[in-house]
Amino acid sequence: MRIVVMPPFDKEFFGADRLDLAPHNLFDLVERLEALAPGFAAIAPARVHFAVDGVLETDWTRELAQAREVIVLPRVGGG
Amino acid sequence: MNAPSTMKPFRHVGTRPVRPDGVDKVTGKALYSTDFKAPGMLWGAILRSPHPHARILSIDTKKAEALAGVKAVATGRDLPTLESLVMHVGEGASDIVDVSHNCLALDKVLYEGHAVAAVAAASPEIAREALGLITVEYEELAFVLGLEEALAEGAPVLHDTVFTKGVDPKPDRPSNAAMRVEMGGGDVEGALASAAATVTGRYTLEPVHQGYIEPHACVASWNGDGQAQIWTSSQGHFAVRALTASVLAIPQADIRVTPLEIGGGFGGKTTVYLEPVAMVLSKKSGRPVRLAMTREEVFRATGPAPGAVIDVRLGAAADGTLVAADVEFLYHSGAYTANDAGAGVSSAIGHYRIPNSRVVGIEVLCNRPAAKAYRAPGAPQVNFAVESAMDELAGKLGIDPLELRLKNAAIEGDPQTTGLPWGRIGYVECLEAAKAHPHWSAPLGPNQGRGIAGGYWGNYGGPSTVNVSVAEDGTVTVATGSPDIGGSRASMAIMAAEVLDIPYEQVRAVVADTASIGVSMVTGGSRTTFATGMATVQAAEEVKRLLCERAARMWGVISDQVEWRSGEVICLDGEKQGQAMSAAAIAGRSFHSGGPIAAVAALSAKGWLPGFGVHICDTEVDPETGHVKIVRYTAVQDVGIAIHPDYVEGQIQGGAAQGIGWALNEAYIYGKDGKLDNAGFLDYRMPVASDLPMIEAVIVEVPNPSHPYGVKGVGEVPIVPPLAAVANAIHAAAGVRLKDLPMAPDRVYAALHPEG
Amino acid sequence: MSKIRVSTTVNGDAAEFLCEPTSSLLDVLRDTMGLTGSKEGCGSGDCGACTVVLDGEMVCSCLVLAPEAEGRTIATIEGVAEGSVLHPVQQKFLEHAALQCGFCTPGFIVAAKALLDRNPDPTESEVRYWLAGNLCRCTGYDKIVRAVMAAAAELRQERTPA
Repeated sequence: MRIVVMPPFDKEFFGADRLDLAPHNLFDLVERLEALAPGFAAIAPARVHFAVDGVLETDWTRELAQAREVIVLPRVGGG
Repeated sequence: MNAPSTMKPFRHVGTRPVRPDGVDKVTGKALYSTDFKAPGMLWGAILRSPHPHARILSIDTKKAEALAGVKAVATGRDLPTLESLVMHVGEGASDIVDVSHNCLALDKVLYEGHAVAAVAAASPEIAREALGLITVEYEELAFVLGLEEALAEGAPVLHDTVFTKGVDPKPDRPSNAAMRVEMGGGDVEGALASAAATVTGRYTLEPVHQGYIEPHACVASWNGDGQAQIWTSSQGHFAVRALTASVLAIPQADIRVTPLEIGGGFGGKTTVYLEPVAMVLSKKSGRPVRLAMTREEVFRATGPAPGAVIDVRLGAAADGTLVAADVEFLYHSGAYTANDAGAGVSSAIGHYRIPNSRVVGIEVLCNRPAAKAYRAPGAPQVNFAVESAMDELAGKLGIDPLELRLKNAAIEGDPQTTGLPWGRIGYVECLEAAKAHPHWSAPLGPNQGRGIAGGYWGNYGGPSTVNVSVAEDGTVTVATGSPDIGGSRASMAIMAAEVLDIPYEQVRAVVADTASIGVSMVTGGSRTTFATGMATVQAAEEVKRLLCERAARMWGVISDQVEWRSGEVICLDGEKQGQAMSAAAIAGRSFHSGGPIAAVAALSAKGWLPGFGVHICDTEVDPETGHVKIVRYTAVQDVGIAIHPDYVEGQIQGGAAQGIGWALNEAYIYGKDGKLDNAGFLDYRMPVASDLPMIEAVIVEVPNPSHPYGVKGVGEVPIVPPLAAVANAIHAAAGVRLKDLPMAPDRVYAALHPEG
Repeated sequence: MSKIRVSTTVNGDAAEFLCEPTSSLLDVLRDTMGLTGSKEGCGSGDCGACTVVLDGEMVCSCLVLAPEAEGRTIATIEGVAEGSVLHPVQQKFLEHAALQCGFCTPGFIVAAKALLDRNPDPTESEVRYWLAGNLCRCTGYDKIVRAVMAAAAELRQERTPA
C-alpha cells in the first residue's frame, strides 16, 4: 500500500514522502511509522490526520485491506 | 436563499425560534465567569513581566506572604516538572510544557506580560498590593518582535530546544523558525515564465486580538483529598480539564469543570491561562480562589492571531486560466510553537484549480504573547494576499474579478493543496449567488469602489457526547458537552425536535459539566452544529426507537407493528390497530416498562465539509483624510443547511465585522522597548456600530450528504474574505493597492499622496 | 481607610451600602449588591458592558465612583423588565437574535432603552451613533440595530392612543 507523507512530516520524521507498507489498520500504521521514526506515535494524535483513498478517516480502527493509499497530512483544527 | 434540493422538507430545521437561554441573557441573570462566587472565595492576582525577554534570576515572595490578608503565593516552581507531550484539545497542537510555562514562567520570560507569580488574598485590593511586594530579579535579554528580524543571523533565540520541524536534514542548531511546511507540485517557474500575465506582491499584517468582551476568569477549589472543582468560561470545559490535569499531573476525573456562560472566544478560549494557577493557589490556601484578567492583561498575555509577511506570485493564461501560484509566508508564532502554518498552507490557494503551485509556510517564534487560534486560524492572512493578487491579476487581464474567480473556482473532485479531492463544496454556487445579487450591479457614488473576495475554511468534526432524556411527562432534555457560544442550545433543540417531531418548546437543551456528560471537544473549528448536532440526532433517534419499543411492548405487539408519527407511536396491527400513544403516556409509565427513557450518543463525527464564502464590499475613500467608510457589505456563504438561520446570519455578520476591523483598524502596536503600546479598547480600536453598515448575509445551501440534516459549519469562513474584499474595494475606489494591514487613514492617505 | 456609607435608589428600591472611597459603582453593584447583570469588559469606559442609568443619564458604571451614587437613582439591567414581562427592547433582542454570547447584551439593552426613552423614533444612524460606546464582538451590530429599531416601532405603537 502506498503511504504518502505530506510536509512537514516527510522531512521531520522520515526523510521520504513515499513509503510502501502493509498495515491492517491505522493504529498498525502508526506503529509501523513509529518503528521507522521514533517519536512519530507521540505526536500523531495531536498533529496528524490520515486520509484513506482520498477521504479523511478519524477512526483508526478502520480496516485497510482494500485500501490503495493512505496520506499522512497535518491536522488542521479551528478556533 | 436557494432551497435545499436533496433534503425532505423540515418541520423545525430552518426555523427561527427564540433561544432557550435568551431570557436569562436579556435580563442580566445569566452567569458568566466573574458572576460566579464560591463561599469563602479568595481573590487572586498575577504578577507579569515588564520585560519582553529576560532570565528570571530570583523571585522573593516573603514580603508578599507576610502581608495581612495574603493566603497564598505561587510561582513557576509550584507547578510540576513535565515531560514534553503534544496535546490537541481543540485547535493547534500545544506542548503541555509550553502550556505550563505560559501559565507561570519558570526560568525565562518570553514576552512583556508573561506571568511570573500569583497571589491569593482576602480582597482584590490586598492581592494587588501583595504583587507590589514581590521582588523579581531579571537579567534582561535581547528581544525580537519582527518576523524577518527573528530569522536573521544573530537574532536572539527564544528556545534552545526548538529545531525547525519539517526540514531535512534536521538543523544542527536551534532557531526561531519553529516549523516549515511546503506543499504543491508541478513546474511553478516554468509556468510563470510562460504565463500571459503575472502579478507579484509582498503583503504584511500585524497580529490582532480575538477581542472577546469577557476577559478570562475562573474560580478553582482544590481539596486536600485531591478532588477539585473549577468554574470557568471557556470554549471547552473538557479541554480545560485535560490541560489543567496535565499541567498539574493529576487525574482528570479529580477535576469537575462547570462551564459558565462564555462571553465570546473566537478561538482564544481554547486553552488555559489561569486555571492551573488558581488550582495551585487554592491548594496552598485551602480556599476557593478566583483569578480574573483585566482587559490590559487580556491584550498583553493572551493569544493574538499571527501577523504575517506573505510573498505571492500568480500567473494566468490570456483567457484567465490560472497556471501557477507561488506563495511563501512567515507567521508569528509568538512565545511558543502555535501550528498555524499548516492551516495557512492548506487555506491559501485551494479554492482555485492551479496546476503548478508551491505554498510554503514558516512559523516564527518571537517575543510576543503565544499566538492562539482566531476564527479560521491561519487562513485570513494568506487569503488577504492571494485574493488581493487575484484582483490585480483580473485588472491586468482585463477580466471581471468575479468572472476570473468563477473561471478558476474549485469544484467537487478537484484536488486541494494537500492533494485530497474536494467533496461537495459550494464555491461556484456562492460566486453565482454573488453575481446574481443586486449589490454586485448596483451603482456607486463618487469616491466609492466595489471589491470582491472569496475564501474558505476546512471545518471539523471530532468527538462529542450528547444525552437525550425524556421526563415522565414526555418533555425532553438534551445535555451536551459543548459550550454554547452563539446559540447552539437552540440548534440542538431544533434538531432533537426535528427527529422526534415534537414542538421545539418541549425540548430544552443544556450544557452539562464534565462530571455529567461524556467528553466533548471544544466549541470551535465550526464543529459544534455539525458534530454535536450529529450526536444529538443519533441520541434522539435512539430515544425514538426506545419509545416505539416500549409502546409495542405495552400493546403486546412487535416493534415492526408500530410507527412514530408526529410525536407519538401509532399501532399498525392487531387489536390496538389505529391507537396512538404519546411520549408522555409512554414515559409516564416507563418505570414499569423497563426504566427511564434516555440515550447517550458518544461519537467522533466524520464527513465534515469545508465552507466557502464570497464577500462584496463597497467602500468610500475620503481623499482628504484617507478615511475609509464601508458603505455596503454583502456576505454570501455556503453553510450546508442552516439549522437556525438567524444564528447562521449572525455568525456571518460577526465574522465579516471582525474581518473589516482587521482590514481597517486593528493591530498590535509595540514600542521600541518591546512593550505593547495599545493594550486597551481605546487604542486597540475594534469596529463599533457607527463604523459599519448593515451586513447582508446571503445563505447558500449545498447540503452535506454526511450530516443527517446537511450541516457543514458556519462560524469561521466569514472572517476569511473581508480583508481582501476591503482592500480590493479601496483599490476600486481610489486606484491605490494597499498591501499592508491595517489600512488605517494614515496609510491610505500616504498611498493617495505619494509625493508626501 | 474607613468605609463610606452610601444611600441610594437602585431599580426603584432604597439601597444602602458601605464602600471604599475608591470603589467603582460597578464593583459595588456586582460584588456588594449581587447585581451581576452589569458586566466588566474593560474597566476603562471603552466597552459599555457596564452601562447603567444614573439620574436619567447613561453612564459607564466602571467610571463612576461608588460614593457618587449618594442620594441618586440608579437603573440597571435587572430593572428593565417589569417582573416577568420583558421590555420591548429585550423582547426584540430575543426575536431578532440580536445576541450571540450575550455578554455585551445587558449594556446594549440599557443603552438602547435610554435612547428610546428620549427619542422614540430614531434613524438607523442615530441608533448606531448612540450605541457606539457599546462594543459587541459577535454580531457585527446588524441584528442589534434592527432589534432596537423594531423596539422603537413597537413602543411608538403602544404609545399611540387607540
